[in-house]
Amino acid sequence: MNPDETTTTPEQSPGAPSPAVAPPPLTVSTAAAEASRDGVTAKAHSISLRKLNAFYGDTHAVRDVDLQYAANQVTAMIGPSGCGKSTLVRCINRMHEEIPGARSTGEILLDDLDLQGTGIDVVSVRRAIGMVFQKPNPFPTMSIYDNVAAGIRLSGTRGVNVKQRVEESLRGAGLWEEVKDRLGQPGIGLSGGQQQRLCIARTIAVEPEVILMDEPASALDPISTLKIEELVHELKKRYTIVIVTHNMQQAARVADTTAFMLNGELVEHAATDKIFSKPDDSRTEEYVTGKFG
Amino acid sequence: MTTLPAVSGRRRATDTAMRGITLVLTIVAIVPLVFILYYLIKEGIGAWSADFFTTDPTGRFLGNPGGIKSAIWGTIVMVALASAIAIPFGIGVALYLVEYGKGGWFANVVRYFIDVMTGVPSVVFGLFVYIVLVVTKIGGTFAAWKGAVALALLMLPVVTRSAEVVLNLVPNDLREGALALGAPRWRVVFRIVLPTAIPGLVTGSLLAVARAAGETAPLLFTAAFVFGTQFDVSQRMNSLPLQIFNDVSQAQDRLVQRAWGAALTLVLLVLLLSLIARLVQRRSRLA
Amino acid sequence: MATGEGRRHFQEELRALEQSALGAIDIVLEQLDRVLEALEHQDVELAQFVILDDDRLDGRYLEVHQGILSLLALQAPVAGDLRLVAALLHLIKHVERMGDQCVTIAKLIPLSGHEPPVRSEMLDRILRMGRAARSEVVQARAAFQARDVALAEDLARQDREINRLNREVFQLAIDIGEDPDTREWAMHMTMVARALERVGDNAVDIGEVTAFVVSGLFREFSDASIPTIPS
Repeated sequence: MNPDETTTTPEQSPGAPSPAVAPPPLTVSTAAAEASRDGVTAKAHSISLRKLNAFYGDTHAVRDVDLQYAANQVTAMIGPSGCGKSTLVRCINRMHEEIPGARSTGEILLDDLDLQGTGIDVVSVRRAIGMVFQKPNPFPTMSIYDNVAAGIRLSGTRGVNVKQRVEESLRGAGLWEEVKDRLGQPGIGLSGGQQQRLCIARTIAVEPEVILMDEPASALDPISTLKIEELVHELKKRYTIVIVTHNMQQAARVADTTAFMLNGELVEHAATDKIFSKPDDSRTEEYVTGKFG
Repeated sequence: MTTLPAVSGRRRATDTAMRGITLVLTIVAIVPLVFILYYLIKEGIGAWSADFFTTDPTGRFLGNPGGIKSAIWGTIVMVALASAIAIPFGIGVALYLVEYGKGGWFANVVRYFIDVMTGVPSVVFGLFVYIVLVVTKIGGTFAAWKGAVALALLMLPVVTRSAEVVLNLVPNDLREGALALGAPRWRVVFRIVLPTAIPGLVTGSLLAVARAAGETAPLLFTAAFVFGTQFDVSQRMNSLPLQIFNDVSQAQDRLVQRAWGAALTLVLLVLLLSLIARLVQRRSRLA
Repeated sequence: MATGEGRRHFQEELRALEQSALGAIDIVLEQLDRVLEALEHQDVELAQFVILDDDRLDGRYLEVHQGILSLLALQAPVAGDLRLVAALLHLIKHVERMGDQCVTIAKLIPLSGHEPPVRSEMLDRILRMGRAARSEVVQARAAFQARDVALAEDLARQDREINRLNREVFQLAIDIGEDPDTREWAMHMTMVARALERVGDNAVDIGEVTAFVVSGLFREFSDASIPTIPS
């Protein structure tokens, strides 16, 4: 925080002769009150889903979901295979509509902006909402450096110090120390866990507001998984995060709130603590204790 | 002691029989190819000389028949021109089929037509260009560029087919990754998909080029025949297949031998292109 | 999706662990019966047996404790299962304490000698306390097994009876007179009464644990003198 700068007049000793000119008034100049912390604006972003429905052709994959993702929190989406959690998350950054025959209705609000409104450019939606996929997908023709810079270049963002952004992003993804000496090497030469962190670096290089993660650690070994989870804890200070996971222990370790979906419906959404100690809905109880699914 | 059942004699016999049969079939298939190469080399190598590659055919019945310089250059020029037309268009069609029109009825219709075109005999392409461009006397009668057009029509479906396969091989999660970063689709195609697919596209294109280099029929009525080396594409131009075609039917032995030499040259050219294609493919990350 | 089919192995282990823990309550009941009889008839040998048999209870405690650790480490129980496992940990602790109370009583019996100066009004009350405590333990066991919260809450009411009797015994001891032998016996009896009162408290605690398994909340069952915390 920048300290306030104040200018004051020196105390006048009682016996001193009064100056010829009246002392100037106290002035206080405030430093930027809106000081950004760590160079990142501290504005927090939430996502609200209202009456969200998603279809693949005639198949009704997501039914009437109302859900809030609070800012700077991690929300986990759990549920059995085919319950619609991945579909729902892909609606948020409008990747769902890339599939032929797929569509969605309802409102998806970033703060108070409807992302599905008319006139909204889907490309800018995706710049604001980043996504990390289940299988790490670094671009094979690019080096580590180029991979991280790809987001900046592909999205046509101008006026960015690319080198600096790349380093920041790699640090943010916890990968800098491991790759700083070989930035020119191909991205696909890294191990699975490193590749996934590379993809995370690539995602945050674009400085999105929200990060969606679709089972980010399910293809990784346990140690890489734990590293990714540690990363999520760090990242949530700056981003709002939604993480789809099959692994309930992961949801329990990582998420502030958890949403349970079944057959396209949202069954329960509560603090993770509550979901795993005393869920309200018996279906949630049955799922988390492993009695089905 | 634990025992496992031993290999039955009958199964061993079947194994050997299968091995034998497939070996025999392979040999039978290879033999003609070996013979062709053998004859080519045997008959053609005698025609090769410095003059062979540096002088034009003279067309004289008596005296020095000349070499095949114009034919070599002609083939190179026309095939290059045809490639310049067919490859961009071919890849363009493939891009449409894979990236933009996928699943749509129009894409399916286009694919069907492309499939049909691969089966069209090469003489039909020549005839088509003859009727549309030569007879109508657009830009003169016979011309090298018209020959190139005919070759391009021949190459187009081949390039498209192979390009489509290669583009489909680009993993979809690369496209998804790029789209999710906020890239417009055209950038995804040009910055991610194409660079990843380049090795495969090059291979496919080289194979199309190799095929075009050897086709006679499309050039018969379009570029026609001429003796001298010239680079004006609006005029007639010689080519290796045509040179062979002409020489083979001559009575003179040395002309026939020249044909063999030309054939050997053509085959070597095609071999060279295929070799390059394979080298490129081996270094490809998709293969 | 089959409901109730998943994790059968784990569910069976959990059930077996619960039965083992409840079985420990049965052991306590046996001990309580013996120690009350020893009290009534001043049976020093029976008292000795009770002291020795406490090993069985300690052994059961260790067994259940180990089983709980195992389930936590290997099965990662959540929600209802987690509450049950946590509850069993509390339960077995209370049961073990009840066993210790029985041992305390048993150790006090020989101190009074073979022919103690018994005052029937005190002994009467103590035996009534013992029977009340016994019935509380039985009810606590039933409440836990059936997950019956109403039955569990009723224990608090019953416990007031024991507390009342305890205060009466104490008062009687104060007014017991000047004879040193009698006074000594009376002091021992107040300690016995206190031990029985602790057994009752532990039974009430088991009732609280039962309510926790069902509701997920830990609530003190208080008697009328202390207002209950709203759940």
